[in-house]
Amino acid sequence: MADQSEQVATGQVAVTMAEVNKWFDDFHVLKNINLTVADGEKVVVCGPSGSGKSTLIRCICKLEDHQRGSINVLGTELNDDVANIDEIRREVGMVFQQFNLFPHMTVLENCTLAQTLVRRKTRKEAESIAMGFLEKVRIPEQASKYPGELSGGQQQRVAIARSLCMSPKIMLFDEPTSALDPEMISEVLDVMVSLAEEGMTMICVTHEMGFARRVADRVIFMDEGEIVEQNEPHAFFENPTNERTRLFLSQILQH
Amino acid sequence: MRSKADLMTTTALPSPPPISLATKIREGYFSGPVSAVVTIVCAILFAYLAYVIVDWAFLSSIWSEADEPLCKEASGACWSVIDARHRIIFFGLFPYEEHWRSTLACIVMVITIVLSCVPWFWSALRLSLLWITGFGIFYLLMHGGLFGLSVITPERWGGLALTIFIFAAVSLIGMPLSILLALGRRSKLPVIAKLFGLFIDFFRSLPLLTILFTAAVITPFVLPDILQGDKLYRVIVGFAIFFACYQAENIRAGLQAVPPGQVEAGLTLGLNYWQRVTRIQLPQAFRNSLPAIVNQFVITFKETSIVTIVGFFEILASGAAAYGTGKWTVHYIEVYVFIGLIYFIFVFSLSRYGAYLEKKLRVGHG
Repeated sequence: MADQSEQVATGQVAVTMAEVNKWFDDFHVLKNINLTVADGEKVVVCGPSGSGKSTLIRCICKLEDHQRGSINVLGTELNDDVANIDEIRREVGMVFQQFNLFPHMTVLENCTLAQTLVRRKTRKEAESIAMGFLEKVRIPEQASKYPGELSGGQQQRVAIARSLCMSPKIMLFDEPTSALDPEMISEVLDVMVSLAEEGMTMICVTHEMGFARRVADRVIFMDEGEIVEQNEPHAFFENPTNERTRLFLSQILQH
Repeated sequence: MRSKADLMTTTALPSPPPISLATKIREGYFSGPVSAVVTIVCAILFAYLAYVIVDWAFLSSIWSEADEPLCKEASGACWSVIDARHRIIFFGLFPYEEHWRSTLACIVMVITIVLSCVPWFWSALRLSLLWITGFGIFYLLMHGGLFGLSVITPERWGGLALTIFIFAAVSLIGMPLSILLALGRRSKLPVIAKLFGLFIDFFRSLPLLTILFTAAVITPFVLPDILQGDKLYRVIVGFAIFFACYQAENIRAGLQAVPPGQVEAGLTLGLNYWQRVTRIQLPQAFRNSLPAIVNQFVITFKETSIVTIVGFFEILASGAAAYGTGKWTVHYIEVYVFIGLIYFIFVFSLSRYGAYLEKKLRVGHG
């Protein structure tokens, strides 16, 4: 934790959450969340369903509002100021469990839409950037197809490429492989690994513990709206200190 | 190691057995005794019906106005009435020597409608240019007053041109309004949502006839002179509001069927409200509720005949005038069949276009 506070001091902080609380009606989903993610850091968030992990990362790009505490992303405070939020969203990419590609547009159009509308790029520029990222996720040959014609794994890779086209500084992944057939999981994880190797700041909600071991700087375990335990992967998996962490790990690792 | 192509050639799988036409007919229409009886009975009925219609309409019918005296003896249709009176059906009270203007105006409006169905025109700029030009030429031809064309006020417009004009104008005003109403009703601000909801439900609860009467007869007492416009325009605006309220609900249904993840994806890419609405939500909403939307257009085309009641001579009313005098009064069936045919051509094309669109928009949706 020492080097982290150093980074805070030098201003290389991507996300800071302080005393964040959120309720869905009476249900307390996030309880006093304190979290700092450094620039370039890869954080994996895991925990049982309903533990608030998705809500946590959805708060970072303000798809959900938090009711108490503060969230600071790339030096900008998340409040109700619309200009602020648009600015943040442009810098933060999000990959969803259900891909959420636009079904009425081709793969290439999916990747160029926001570039031309938000970044004011010409169509030609946008297309060449999009093709670059489609090559990176290894599906340039699918550019003119519609999402409905692709497999789940391919769709998720397009979704990652679509986010990357906006050159985000932080990438959020909300269970990116949970909706995939088993044989397609690795093609998506491979893309995420190479992204991590390039130094992207990443916060991933996932149950892929192999990915966590390989890529994460830190693994966070959440349960019932709280961060129960966090540690670097080796220590987290080998010597979990909390009883709830141990139970969770034994449940997902027993097969 | 063998390549994938190798494998394909050496272990080629058999293709499905071909199905002959005879097999298809046997399986589809004569698969058992009941099926065979049904097929034969239906075929006989259909043939008989077809014969009766063809005989009435073509074989035993009288065609020219001059042959009208023969109609009494003939067992078929007396198309003489159409030959003699088609100008009234098509043009209503429009001055006889200016009928070419009405014809041309109809053609211009139909071309405008057809062109706006072509995907190439589907951008705000192209569509608005197309409709401004189309309406401009239509109005110039019908109303006149420029380039030496004599002025003909809307009270004297009639027949097919009026029907098409009312339909086109109602659609043109109604469509954008319906989108606005649908979006308003889904607004996050409760005041706006409730207000738009109330507006929609209010106008949907009134009969079209009431709205048209109010527009034609009552608004002149309420509105100041400059806001009134011609009676025709008031009726069209009233009609358009009625149309928009129904269409808004169709569009809203389509919007509600768009998964929330689509909007979230738009949000995280930094798209603003209008970008999300126009690029992500509306295209998918239209696709979702296309059958209902086309249905509303079909209903509206046929409902244009209601304007007769507030004193306009659209095609059905001018048809009634066509057989209303002298020797023609007995031939109302032929007139209504003829008008039915005109409606059929328009409405059937509209439904076929809807089917084409559905197919086109389904691309990539499995």
